[in-house]
Amino acid sequence: MKKLFIFRRKKNYFTIVLLILFSVISIYPLLYLLFYSLKTNDEIFYTNPFGIPLAPQFDNYRRAVQLFDIVGFFKNSMVITLFSVMAILILALPFSYAISRMHWKLKNTVSFYLSLGLFIPIQVIIVPLSILVKNMHISNTYLALIIPYIAFNLAFACMVLSSSFSSLPQELEESAFIDGSGVFRTFLEIMIPLVKPAISTAIIFATMSIWNEYTLASILATDQKLKTLPVGLTSFVGEHSTDWGAMGACLVIASIPTVILYLCCSEQVEKALTVSGAVKG
Amino acid sequence: MNKMLGNKKAIAAFTLPVLFVFSLIVFFPIIQTIQKSFYDWDGLTKPIFSGFKNYAELLRDPLFYQASKNGVLFAIVLVIFQIGISTLLALALMNPAIPFRRFFRNAYFIPAVLSVTVACQLFSSIYNPEFGMINKLFETFGLDWQQDWLSDTRCSLLAVAFVSVWHGMGYQFSIIFAGLKSVPDQYQEAAMIDGANRFQINTKVLIPLIKDTYRICLIMAITGGINAYSYMQILTKGGPGTSSHTLTYMTFRSAFTIGEYGYGCAVAAMLILQCLTATFLINKFMRSESITY
Repeated sequence: MKKLFIFRRKKNYFTIVLLILFSVISIYPLLYLLFYSLKTNDEIFYTNPFGIPLAPQFDNYRRAVQLFDIVGFFKNSMVITLFSVMAILILALPFSYAISRMHWKLKNTVSFYLSLGLFIPIQVIIVPLSILVKNMHISNTYLALIIPYIAFNLAFACMVLSSSFSSLPQELEESAFIDGSGVFRTFLEIMIPLVKPAISTAIIFATMSIWNEYTLASILATDQKLKTLPVGLTSFVGEHSTDWGAMGACLVIASIPTVILYLCCSEQVEKALTVSGAVKG
Repeated sequence: MNKMLGNKKAIAAFTLPVLFVFSLIVFFPIIQTIQKSFYDWDGLTKPIFSGFKNYAELLRDPLFYQASKNGVLFAIVLVIFQIGISTLLALALMNPAIPFRRFFRNAYFIPAVLSVTVACQLFSSIYNPEFGMINKLFETFGLDWQQDWLSDTRCSLLAVAFVSVWHGMGYQFSIIFAGLKSVPDQYQEAAMIDGANRFQINTKVLIPLIKDTYRICLIMAITGGINAYSYMQILTKGGPGTSSHTLTYMTFRSAFTIGEYGYGCAVAAMLILQCLTATFLINKFMRSESITY
């Protein structure tokens, strides 16, 4: 289609300046972080606070790994995120299929019930949840975080997956049944492969929200060996607060996974995070 | 086919696990929060029913009013800056004549993929009164306006609020931008044919058409502001004094630090009430007939 003249607008210099200004505001703090993770304290404080490090101090990173248990926290975050996401998929896929494609009376009620989970802020449930965890005797284990994370991310995952299932044509199941396949087999071998994009959306969203999550992790996993990255990072602010270089190195190490995930699949990530916004409510 | 898709056993097998986990972790705790708010409880011994005592105490507690005020202030900052700036940027980026649009979109979004901890620690060093980036910037320009950003009761809440703005703006921007892009071109074309200039098209055509998107953004920003916890916990621990306390902070403090679980639940219940009120009001004022294209 020929683009109408509405699309060939002239460059508006004011808007370009505005856009650049805000991209600087968004990105410069991160560059500042990257730079000061590679500088000596002296450089950060006095000689070269804003610029590119003159002599990159990779030693900061070595210290970060040695002094702070970064590797341990990283491992904890990875284990928890991995198991949570797997469990979310295993639970959410059948559920979304049942909600969107199967025939039963309480379908809509249950769907609405689950969507309530999207509105509930974690903060209000923390008190009973911590008591529940204590009563289930799983406090200070990985399960103490995995189970709540699963529960909180189920709502979104189910929503994305069920809307994806709904968009598939009915003929698929009809032909599968005619060919003699049962419900379980149809589900596993035909329906699941067809919603792969939605699955990756759900995986991305769940990974990001669990990896970066702080509030729940700070309350439910207080044992030093179990802390996830976000919580672990705050715990050594007091001890080494004067060693900015090493702190910076820790922060950079903690952010690398999500930043890389974002840079590789930026379209996917944005779509994942905005689907919830667009469909919610 | 109905027999297959109506297979009760399959349906049960598919749905019960999710319903079980969800009810256990999300639904029942909410009921419990509300229920326990009517009890006196220290978390260990048996709870004693105390009716509305917790609520009466809450309404007399000056900390409650301060925390609520902080929550509202936080929410207002988020709305004005996150949504306001995101709108400006999203509208600006709609212009296809601008180069490197992908870069700008990525740049605005990147802060949102960071963990709260990283963002807060980073800003904790930026706000540092002696060596932080901001005060150093003032120093370089010869201005004598250094503040103790996080330790001064007047500006600590705002300082924390701006960290939240920086962190979450990418998210709001993406939602608004996606909303703007989904408006079909014919509306803009029609306005242009009728002689509207760019500003008029933006304000009178585009923004009203994405009212639903704004409704969601507002709900997110306002409830996010009222519920704010992690930012103040990491940056100022609610301080200095109580100037950056929010309701969630009060809940945690009551329940985990002081051991008054019942009171903490009452605060949480008030929090739920505030969020519900805000959501209800927003929905009421922004209710329009469903916009269909």
